[in-house]
Parts: sequence; structure tokens; C-alpha cells
Amino acid sequence: MADSPEEIKKHIKLYLLIGITLFVCTVLTVAVAKFEFLDFGERGFDGVDATIGLLIATFKATLVALIFMHLNHEKKLIYGVFGLGIVLGFCLLAITAFAFSDPIHYEAFFGR
Amino acid sequence: MEIPYIVEPRKDTGLNNSKIGIWLFLASEVMLFGGLFSGYIFLRIYADYPWPERTLPVLPGLINTFVLIGSSITVVFAWVSLKLRQWRKFQIYMAITIICAALFMVLKGVEYKAKFAHQAIRLDDYTVIEGHAHPQGGSHDHHAPKKNLNFTAESLQIDLRRVDDIYFETMGKQYTEGGFVLADNVTLSNDEVLEKGSAITKALIDTAKEDFLTAVANNSSIDIDLGRQAWKDMKAKYPGVKYYEKAEGDKTLNEVTSAYLKDLKAKRADYLAATPALTFVPSSGSATITINPYWGKLSHPKEGAKGNLRLKDQTVIFGITADSSIILAVDGIDFRHTVMKADEKGIDPVTVVANSWLLKDEGMNAIWEKHKVVTAKLAEVLKEKDRKPSQNDIYRINWQEIVAFQRIEKEGLKVEDLSHEEIMAYFPGDLEGFAGPSHKTVHYPEITVPREQVRFESVFSPRWNTYYATYFTITGLHGLHVIAGALVLGYYLFFGRKMYNENPEWLANRVEIGGLFWHFVDLVWIFLFPILYLM
Repeated sequence: MADSPEEIKKHIKLYLLIGITLFVCTVLTVAVAKFEFLDFGERGFDGVDATIGLLIATFKATLVALIFMHLNHEKKLIYGVFGLGIVLGFCLLAITAFAFSDPIHYEAFFGR
Repeated sequence: MEIPYIVEPRKDTGLNNSKIGIWLFLASEVMLFGGLFSGYIFLRIYADYPWPERTLPVLPGLINTFVLIGSSITVVFAWVSLKLRQWRKFQIYMAITIICAALFMVLKGVEYKAKFAHQAIRLDDYTVIEGHAHPQGGSHDHHAPKKNLNFTAESLQIDLRRVDDIYFETMGKQYTEGGFVLADNVTLSNDEVLEKGSAITKALIDTAKEDFLTAVANNSSIDIDLGRQAWKDMKAKYPGVKYYEKAEGDKTLNEVTSAYLKDLKAKRADYLAATPALTFVPSSGSATITINPYWGKLSHPKEGAKGNLRLKDQTVIFGITADSSIILAVDGIDFRHTVMKADEKGIDPVTVVANSWLLKDEGMNAIWEKHKVVTAKLAEVLKEKDRKPSQNDIYRINWQEIVAFQRIEKEGLKVEDLSHEEIMAYFPGDLEGFAGPSHKTVHYPEITVPREQVRFESVFSPRWNTYYATYFTITGLHGLHVIAGALVLGYYLFFGRKMYNENPEWLANRVEIGGLFWHFVDLVWIFLFPILYLM
């Protein structure tokens, strides 16, 4: 990376701000799980809680990736490499999902 | 030879090689953890038991999240300091990062230790009780066994093919103390006689085992030749008859050939008689055997029942089951699996729970009755907000509730007379149960669980269920990544001065690369914490 010292100095406050945001989001994640008035779906854990929790986690991860890991001004090659990893990660998820659609579970698969 | 393009970028990619290398590695790490997360998701969706939701203590995980986020900030500032050629600041920020890594691992260790000390038992009717196991027999020795299988042995059979040295050496002291001796004369294939009444020793077992294996090796080649001959002869005698068809009277060709083969073996002088097992009896008539519960299985777990205890090396001990119950100080009760099984069979879950073995105990029943009162009060409160208690609320009693009941009773009050909010005020805070329920500060109610009521038992380890298996796998792997990252960053801190003096930009690039790995480790935890602790 070709950041000059002057450019880096400008980012110091941004790093601190992102750090504080991450702390706040962490507290928010716990609050959403713990407090009744922030439980938007059914009582207890449900799909709504999962969605909110994962959205906050994704937001935090995006901040870390973009700012701390400098992905907001990287070369296209790096986006390609990392993106490929994420795509292949989802392929692993898909393979496991397809395993549950194995026709051996269905009686009709064996014929008459 | 110096590696090219580690400071100045390549002209074609515009990047230095280290940067491309670390991003390739991080892409592979995304797939590694992505695969584990997807495994967790499917294990959870398709679980055939109630998933342990929100049962982990949140505070250690929350502190670890703050620690890792803080270390992410400090590692960035360490890189900034190098870029600005501020060596002292670099040292300070990098030292804080490594201290954060150490603190993370210490907290992880505290969590793991608490889990390995915490016991869970799934009863025969699928009720789950959690707590700490106490030494068997009411012993006050904390090192005494807590879950051993106890047996009154009348005889002992050692399988010479499978007998394992480690099992035998560990059990050997008990065999000697029990006065086990050979039950009968045993003639080995080399005509050596092991005399009746010989004491059970490793030398005796080894002699018999060696003889057995020699005989088996000798016989195996004869078996093959004789087997071929027998089938050839019988196929010639009964042409066209299949092995499962009748050949002589009611006997199939297979049965006729087996008898013929037996005759052939008896006529062979070099066919050795192999003794596959040795039987020993205690000289006093009976002896007490106690084993680690994971070393064997009782055929009849009820105390006083006649049966056997089979070790994993196929040693079988015949006799009578002795008291092998587990004394558990209960800090958690979970009827959700019982209810799930009742629903599957179309039986009313309330009736099944009311008739469960656990509630026959007065103390446990008292806790359950108070819990029903609390759940009813909760239902009233939630009704105003158009909500209902969850399955967890209705059928699971956590340690906090048991502690609250004790505190209410201590003040001479009754749960029925308090409002839901007043009851909640007695619940302990997160700091009190930092890594889980403490059995040092609270005396939890005890119950003696007879062995025949134990369907499955385990401490909170990967063995207990798929949730804990995944929890330990992912957090353990993540912990190893934290250690590896800390070692790399520590190398830059302690051995980077020379490189800083020679080529500071090179060190800055290396710290940036190490920092990228560190941020990734933080990224994984950002997802791990809510998924495992809060969902």
C-alpha cells in the first residue's frame, strides 16, 4: 500500500471512530438478545433475532474489512481474491444444503 | 537471495507479493471457517433434540469481544506508528495487542475449565439435569470417583485376542487385590499347562496370549487349505447343489460342509487347539471392581441385578451390579427433550413431565412447582404485550432461578406472594455467574441418580451434544489462530528493531500483513460471539 505519512495521519481519527462504533455495536448486539423491549419477534430466539444479530455482525465485519483491512482502497486483484474465497465459502454451504436434498431419503427413490 | 517485490509493488499487479499472499491465505481461511459455520447451521436446523439456546454465560464472551476489538485498534496504530517512524509508540501498541491476545486466551481457558467441571445427565425419560457431580458414596474426598461403575465380581474372562495392555495394567491392581486366580487348568497348544489357582499376572496373560496368537497364525493357513479341500470335496459329492440348498436330509450344503471341515481339522495333527479366553475367579468368592464409566458398560445397570460388566477390550466381568449411582448437585433442569419426545408420540407433555422420575424427588418437585408459579406470573405480564412464554421459559429451569428461590426462602417469603418483577430482583447478576454457576458460593440441591436412570451423561465437552462439539471445535480453532497471530506479532515486537534500522518500510509492510491476519481473527470472532453466545 502506498499510503504516505500525511494520508495516514488523516486516518487516525477515523480508526478511533470505527473502534468506538464497533464497541457500541457489540453492546447493541447483546442488548437486542437480552432485553425484552428489544425483542421484536416471538419471545425467545427466533428468525427475527437471528436476522438482527447477523445484520449487526455483518455491519461490524464490513467496517473492519473496509477500514482496518484497507479494503476500501485496494486493488481489484485483492477484491477478486477475497471475493473468490467468499464465493467458494458459500459453495461449501450450498453443498451441505444439497446433502439434505439427497433423494435417498425419499421412498419413491427406490421404486416399487 | 532476496525475495523480490516485498517493499516496492510489482508493475503488473500494483501490489507487493506479501499483500497478494496474505489475501490468498485469508481467502482460504474464509472457506475454512465458512465450512465450519455452515456445518453449525445445518446441525442446528436439523437437530433431533432441543438446541441449547442462550445457555452460555455471556459476560466472558462479551469481554473477549471488547478485548479483540481493542487489539484490532492497537494493531492498526502499531502499523501507523511504524509508517510515521515512531518506534516507541509501535512497541507500546504492539505490546498492548499481545497482552489483549493473552487476556483473550486466559478468559477462554476460564470458560473451558468451567465447562469441563460441569456435569449433565440425560435421564431415561429424556429429562436433562445439569450440575456438579459429587464423590460417590457420600465421600468427602474431592478426588474420589464421581461416576464410576461399581461391580461385585464373581468371575472374570479375559479375551486373549483383544486384551489391551493399558486396560490390564490399570485394572491389574484391582485384580490382584481381589485375589483373582485361574478358575481351571488350561492346556496351551504347546502342551504347557497353566495350573488352576495361578494368580492373575501380566506374565500369565502374556504367555497365554502369545500361545493363542501362535496357534491362530498356525491354524489360519491350514484353515484356508482345508476349507478349499472341504468345499471341493462336497461340491464333487453334491454337484449342482447351491450352498443354501438341502444336501443331506434337512441339512444344507453349507452345514454338511462345515461338519466335514470340522472332521478334517480334527484329523490334522498339526492343527493346534487355540485357547481364546482365560477365566479367573476371586479366591474369596467375590471381589469389588470399580471402573471409569467410559471404559465399559453394565449389562444390567440396576443395583443388585445379576449381569456383567464388559470392558472396551472385551474383558467380561460376571457378577452383581453394585451401587453406581451419581450424586448430582442440580443447577439446571430441562424438560424440553421429554416434551419433544411426548409430542412425537402424541402424548400430553404436561402429563409426561408431571409423571417424570425426577419429580418423584421432593426437592426437585418443590423447585418445579415454584417454577410453574413463576411461569404463570410471566405469562400474565407477557399477555399485556400480546406475547407468550417460550418453550425455554416453560420447561427449562436455569441456575439463576434456583438461586433466586433459595434467596426468597431465606428471607421467609413465598414465591406465590411476590410479583414477577419482585422475583426477578432475586435473580443473580452476570458477575455472580461469570463463567457459569458457582458451586463454591451456592449450595445447590442434591439428587442421587441411580445408574439405570442414566440414559447418557457427560461433562460439557464435545461429547455432550453437537452444539458443544461445534462450540469447542470453532472456538478452539479460533483460539489457535489467536495464539499463532500473537506469536507472529510478538516476533515483530521483540526482533523487529534490526529490520527497523535497516529497512523500516519493510517492517511496516510485515506488520501490516500480520495486522491483516489479526483483523481476520477479529472478524471471525465478530460472527462467532453472537452465533454461539446470543442465538
